[in-house]
Amino acid sequence: MLLEVLNSVFSVQIFLFIILGVFTGICIGSLPGLTATMGVALVLPLTFGMEATPGILLLIGVYVGAIYGGSISAILLRTPGTPAAAATVLDGYEFSKRGESGRAMGISTVSSFIGGVVSVLALWLISPQLAKLALRFSAPEFFLLAVFGLSIIASISGNSLAKGVLCGGLGISLSFIGIDGITGYPRFTFNNINLLSGMSFIPVMIGLFAMSQAFSTVENIFTPDQVTQKISKVWPSKKDWKIILKTAPLSGAIGTMIGIVPGAGAEIGAFVSYSQAKRSSRHPELFGTGIPEGISAPEAGNNGVTGGALIPMLTMGVPGDAVAAILIGALTVQGLQPGPLLFTEHTTLVYSIFLGMFVANVTMLVLGLSSLKLFVKVLSVPKAILTPMIFVLCVVGSYAINTNFFDVGVMLFFGILGYFLQKADVSVSPAVLGLILGPMAESNFRRALLMSEGSYSIFVASPIAWVFVVLTLVTLLGPAVKERLKKH
Amino acid sequence: MKKILVLVMLLSLVLGSVFAQGSTEATADSYPSGPVSVIVPYSAGGGTDLVARALVDAAKANFPKNIAVENRTGGGGAVGMSYGANAKADGSVITMITVELVTLPHTGTGAGLYYDQFKPIMLVNSAYSAITVQKNSPYNTLNEFLAAAKTKTMRVGNSGVGAIWHLAAAGLAKTAKVNFNHIPFDGAAPAITSLLGGHIDAVTVSYAEVASQVDAGNLKVLAVLAPERIAATPNIPTAKELGYDVAIGTWRGLGVPKATPQPIVDKIEKIFTEASKSDAFVKFMNSSNNIIDVMDSTSYGAKLAKDNDMFKALIEELGLKQQ
Repeated sequence: MLLEVLNSVFSVQIFLFIILGVFTGICIGSLPGLTATMGVALVLPLTFGMEATPGILLLIGVYVGAIYGGSISAILLRTPGTPAAAATVLDGYEFSKRGESGRAMGISTVSSFIGGVVSVLALWLISPQLAKLALRFSAPEFFLLAVFGLSIIASISGNSLAKGVLCGGLGISLSFIGIDGITGYPRFTFNNINLLSGMSFIPVMIGLFAMSQAFSTVENIFTPDQVTQKISKVWPSKKDWKIILKTAPLSGAIGTMIGIVPGAGAEIGAFVSYSQAKRSSRHPELFGTGIPEGISAPEAGNNGVTGGALIPMLTMGVPGDAVAAILIGALTVQGLQPGPLLFTEHTTLVYSIFLGMFVANVTMLVLGLSSLKLFVKVLSVPKAILTPMIFVLCVVGSYAINTNFFDVGVMLFFGILGYFLQKADVSVSPAVLGLILGPMAESNFRRALLMSEGSYSIFVASPIAWVFVVLTLVTLLGPAVKERLKKH
Repeated sequence: MKKILVLVMLLSLVLGSVFAQGSTEATADSYPSGPVSVIVPYSAGGGTDLVARALVDAAKANFPKNIAVENRTGGGGAVGMSYGANAKADGSVITMITVELVTLPHTGTGAGLYYDQFKPIMLVNSAYSAITVQKNSPYNTLNEFLAAAKTKTMRVGNSGVGAIWHLAAAGLAKTAKVNFNHIPFDGAAPAITSLLGGHIDAVTVSYAEVASQVDAGNLKVLAVLAPERIAATPNIPTAKELGYDVAIGTWRGLGVPKATPQPIVDKIEKIFTEASKSDAFVKFMNSSNNIIDVMDSTSYGAKLAKDNDMFKALIEELGLKQQ
């Protein structure tokens, strides 16, 4: 069987498809407004006419590439190319400001690779055991996971916790807009059809991060750049390697676990990894000022999700995230039904996917490192030319996601809001986190109470629930306790 | 400054002429005289999207000036369908209309959408609700399940409040005179996952959506809410056979704006009816567990009117109407 697997993956055709997939993915991921999910969905019809193995590996290549590609624009332009890279902006852009974007992207590429490899190993070695975890999650566990996620606001608030909490609250309030998922009541929609499905996440994110940044660049658009980008070295230095090796494997493992949980995707994996790295760091105050850990953790975390999301999909036919749901469709069209039978009836295919995914991660590393110098050149374009191009990208990106012009207005609104928030020294990441996790917390809280017919004991009825209660308390109270202990 | 002004004017001239191209008068003989877009009111990669893309792919040869699928999402389908209903009535915009066209207006979230804004072209496929429980559930027939529901509150998962599978569960409960505890999820997949984990008692999503888990021996289907047995699963009884006269399902079809000239409508119907019989489309539909259910424009129009009345009554009775 091993030979069969090696044969089916190590052919020129499959290699070409993986390279093509990863390359397409990196391009799609680095463009704001085109997400990993969209990229995979757009490539999907191409696989209908292909055989199962190359088809699935092409899609997985796009997935892996896109999750990594999002970090490129996050670091260079303060524009997360995909939601998964929203946490990378925090430290990544600080590097570019100092002229070290080459170093930042080197760290991001290597960390993404490590995170991806960790998740592939988990997928290969222990997926049947881990898969059972996905089924243990029900509404109360999802709610507590979301609350734990929200507690991360404490880690990403920048220098003022109060501002961070306010901004997180803003994000959660924004998530109230639209048809309420439990009773079907339209909230804050002002009879506008475009608000029925709520604030579209991508335009809000593009506005808050990219548009606001472009606005502030306009202030001094004709003054030449003070910073020249050092791009000579993209391979991380010895010192950086030490930090990466300390951070990335653990973050990759965290990402893998988040990936297994159905409905929790790469963006949550990145934020949780970032928060964990900060909490366990000896110098948490340096996070957000541009340190290697601040890139390594979220990037390993979001690529860790890629393998994790496939675990429940391949073993049980349950999608770990939106991309995995599309992959299920792709497999079904091939006449294959993901689930327990896939492992026994199509062993070669399953192991080809494992090996192919590993190859995809290696491809990502090679493509990433070899093209970094090219990407960094973007920053040597004069601001007066680059900034209008960013404006165009912002408009096109927010339109493309739903082909709805209303979203462009949303993006502009949040661009202006983000600009003033930046002036007031407020970090916008908590708003993004609130917008992602708000609906997850709310609907699962109410769904849990529906299931238990009103009894609150459902929230402490399972061991997983307790794990999240404890994790949340540690995140919130940990720093204060540490401080106390230091004093005595 | 002047330069920029000139540039802007030139640009608008160029863009203007590009957009002006499509305005030539369309007739049946010359149709399609320009590029055609097919509006899918749901996101790329979803069930409706895949069916639309497969159908468009099969019909591609008839559109020399290109045909493309366009996803316009939002409002549970209302955004895309409203866009399609208000598009130019010359056949250049065809819309994938779904059952939500006759449910959203009654839940009060259709934003002015109504089925008579469309001229129906054809029904493409349909899927009926399958009452599904865990494999080791104590209930082996629909009757046992419903009898137990009289004494115990069954937690029945659906794909969203007011969505078609919620209406299916509610319709069954109404016919069988029981009460379910309806648990809405964000789509069918999370509901099925929850059932697999044993957190709820049943789901009422389509057979296609549970098929892989049924084949793997994790779930079992007690009955389908279909007018007759599904060809792929001749062993599963319909609720009607068991004495509960209820058939609720989703469907997908094609529609164009009401004012579209009849000759063009006929031409589109002819093209897509042929496409729906093509080997590639049939193969795709079979392998993806979708049931082809083609109806011509007249009978599809009648179905629209009938379903509209049925869902109106059901939604009002359930108190799902908002505002």
